[in-house]
Amino acid sequence: MAEAISQAEKVKYMMQKFIPVAALIALFFAFSLVTDKFFTIQNILTIALQTSTLAFMGIGVTYAIITGGIDLSIGSVVALSGVVAGLAVRVGIPVLIGFLLALLAGIACGAVNGVMVTKLHLPPFIATLGMMQIARGIALYVTGARAIAGLPDEFGILGNGALFRTTTTLPNGRVVTQFPGIPYPVIIMIIVAVVFDFVLKHTRLGRFTYAVGSNQEAARLSGLNVNKVKVIAYTISGGLAGLTGIVTMSRIVTAQPNAGVAYELDAIATAVIGGTSLMGGSGTISGTMIGAFIIGVLRNGLNMQGVSYFIQQVIIGLVIIAAVAVDQLRKREA
Amino acid sequence: MSEEILRVENMTKRFPGVIALDRVSFDLRRGEVHALVGENGAGKSTLMKILSGVYQPDEGAIYLKGQPVVFHNPIEAQRAGISIIYQELNLMPHLTVAQNIFIGREPLKKGGSIDDKKMSEDAAAILSQLHVDIDPDVPVYMLPLSKRQMVEIAKALSYQAEVFIMDEPTSSLTESEIEELFKVIHRLRDRGVGIIYISHRLEELKYIADRVTVLRDGRYVSTDEYQSVTIDEIVRKMVGRPLEEKFPPRTSTPTNKKILEVRNITRVGVLHDISFDLYQGEILGIAGLVGAGRTELARAIFGADPKDEGEIFLFGEKVNIFSPTDAIRAGIGYLPEDRKLAGLALEMLLTENITLANTEEVSNSLGIISNKKEKQVAEQYVKELDIRTPSVFQVVKNLSGGNQQKTVLAKWLFRKAKVLIFDEPTRGIDVGAKYAIHKLIDSLAKNGVGIIMISSELPEILGMTDRILVLHEGRLVGILQTKETNQEEILNYATGLTSNASKKTGVTL
Repeated sequence: MAEAISQAEKVKYMMQKFIPVAALIALFFAFSLVTDKFFTIQNILTIALQTSTLAFMGIGVTYAIITGGIDLSIGSVVALSGVVAGLAVRVGIPVLIGFLLALLAGIACGAVNGVMVTKLHLPPFIATLGMMQIARGIALYVTGARAIAGLPDEFGILGNGALFRTTTTLPNGRVVTQFPGIPYPVIIMIIVAVVFDFVLKHTRLGRFTYAVGSNQEAARLSGLNVNKVKVIAYTISGGLAGLTGIVTMSRIVTAQPNAGVAYELDAIATAVIGGTSLMGGSGTISGTMIGAFIIGVLRNGLNMQGVSYFIQQVIIGLVIIAAVAVDQLRKREA
Repeated sequence: MSEEILRVENMTKRFPGVIALDRVSFDLRRGEVHALVGENGAGKSTLMKILSGVYQPDEGAIYLKGQPVVFHNPIEAQRAGISIIYQELNLMPHLTVAQNIFIGREPLKKGGSIDDKKMSEDAAAILSQLHVDIDPDVPVYMLPLSKRQMVEIAKALSYQAEVFIMDEPTSSLTESEIEELFKVIHRLRDRGVGIIYISHRLEELKYIADRVTVLRDGRYVSTDEYQSVTIDEIVRKMVGRPLEEKFPPRTSTPTNKKILEVRNITRVGVLHDISFDLYQGEILGIAGLVGAGRTELARAIFGADPKDEGEIFLFGEKVNIFSPTDAIRAGIGYLPEDRKLAGLALEMLLTENITLANTEEVSNSLGIISNKKEKQVAEQYVKELDIRTPSVFQVVKNLSGGNQQKTVLAKWLFRKAKVLIFDEPTRGIDVGAKYAIHKLIDSLAKNGVGIIMISSELPEILGMTDRILVLHEGRLVGILQTKETNQEEILNYATGLTSNASKKTGVTL
């Protein structure tokens, strides 16, 4: 009997993993069929680049959601940290230090969210809704709502550079790119995904994150510092929003206080498509990565097909609903 | 003799592994208060839930005013005139008294909007029938609990209920509030309503009960005119059975080495100045009725709830416990009454649950958990405690109750707890697994772990412990030597009829 349940569980688990992966592969396949230029190294790297920022935010919010919370402040924190980087660099602070300050700004916003949730006992929705307004307001105020342009070229390296870019010079003097290189944001994405996946799967912190979301009272009665775990989760979410801000602003070599509006909803969508439950206690980084790529591939493929941005929005909305509906159906059957 | 209004015949209800009600019959007359008594688990609540349509019986029939009736849900029962006043009230706190009374049946104006004025007047009329002074237009959350209860009663009355079921209605009321409730009950009775009154407080029956029915282990024992029985007889009938459950032989005897000293634990309104000692090799039972404060005492010692006063000494040294983390660090473990709600992360694996309170042991200095070590630990305890599972990587949700309890126990053993507090360790666990858990508890005591065992099942308390603390309404009313006591005596203490621990400290050896 117990054996049978365990088998069913395994199948269920596989299905949960399998459906999003299958959807992603199907999308790749479909777009490759209808568009010549879709399945090229160049385009796949483009998709990875476009997906990277979505992945950062998705990974961060996955932590918050697993504890049973949510982070609505992500988009505003993206803007604020980008603005911090831009302002710092404009007053002459080296780019690297400017980026670090921006990261710290994101971390600070996340930590404040965590403290509001744990010490002020605010519902995460409310705490991060407040932070959403505050961070956006500060970003707009300190810039006078104007973009910070005229930043040095180094500001753009992180977002636009690539590793292993190889070029040759033809006899006629023209420079031809042989391999476009792996964009830095993609490399960072891989590192971030691997690290945070490892933390969630193999460390005490990860274990505690699941335990808090799965049964907060049992976690507390097992001696876990529930508050600390939550603060760390929100801090991770804030920090990765900060990273997103840096990469986003670096790509356009401009610090834009209006950037990132509604990004938190994209982030939540990636987590949810990837199988993270908003009830807390479950979710994986691999799932979130797949969720991010589903959205990334959809946007890229639909763009190449010349589908209007507005229709893209409709389609992504349908994907979110379908992903969760399938999940619910599966749960009810079980 | 007045007319019969409700009759239940041969009611049987089975749950997986237990027969909650076994061919119980019962009747209620117009204008009487019929007390229904029995120990925890005797089947009172199950019977009430069947009468109010929450559960469907497996066998048996309900006759209302002579007609057979079947209730598929609580609404049908309510429409038929059976209303239940639960211990936890079912009101919507932010709606007004009148809105609560008429929820779903609001009087409408011609245009279809709610006629608030009429609703308010109707509510006031019903409340005045009960002679209670409540403004129908205040939100319910502003009322004290006793008044909310009156609102529930008024609501039931507005349904023209002829059968009232009251489940422990006095458990959270003060004495003057109880008096007012009794007056209302008398008024209802005089109106010809039949009242089924469930209470653990036998001493209050004399004010209201006309007849009393005793249930035990899901079976009907007796029905008597209240005048013709004594409380002693009722208690004897409630307890009745010989110790039929088998308990493993105890292999340890208490030494005179104190492990734990609890002094003057107080949580205002919940626990009053409770002190006791726990000795090595001893199993200390805590008995008491629902609401006596047993779980609250355990949680206060464990730091799960704040305490207003009190000190705890472990092996003679004072320990400051402000949170479960502190208690665990000091060496105390708590196995909560509700495993699913507070003991386990149900969606997580067996391995993960076993190591949850002691992940340091299976991880390196960077906090990276070794899957290999964790698996070894889990395998060790699966073997040691005989946890039946296809694999150590099983999701705990899929284990049986007994195996879940063993999982919680494994968690504390892996943490090397020196004092373990078991809160209803065998609730919802089948007989075979019970024996295994009792055996484990005994061997822990033998190995020097201090054991406190809270239980509502008196045979379990008598079969397993060396001494028994009896709580009544948050007070320690007796410390009994298990060998020298019996169920009647424990119940006498637990119902507040006797007390031996009123001396200041309550500490006796």
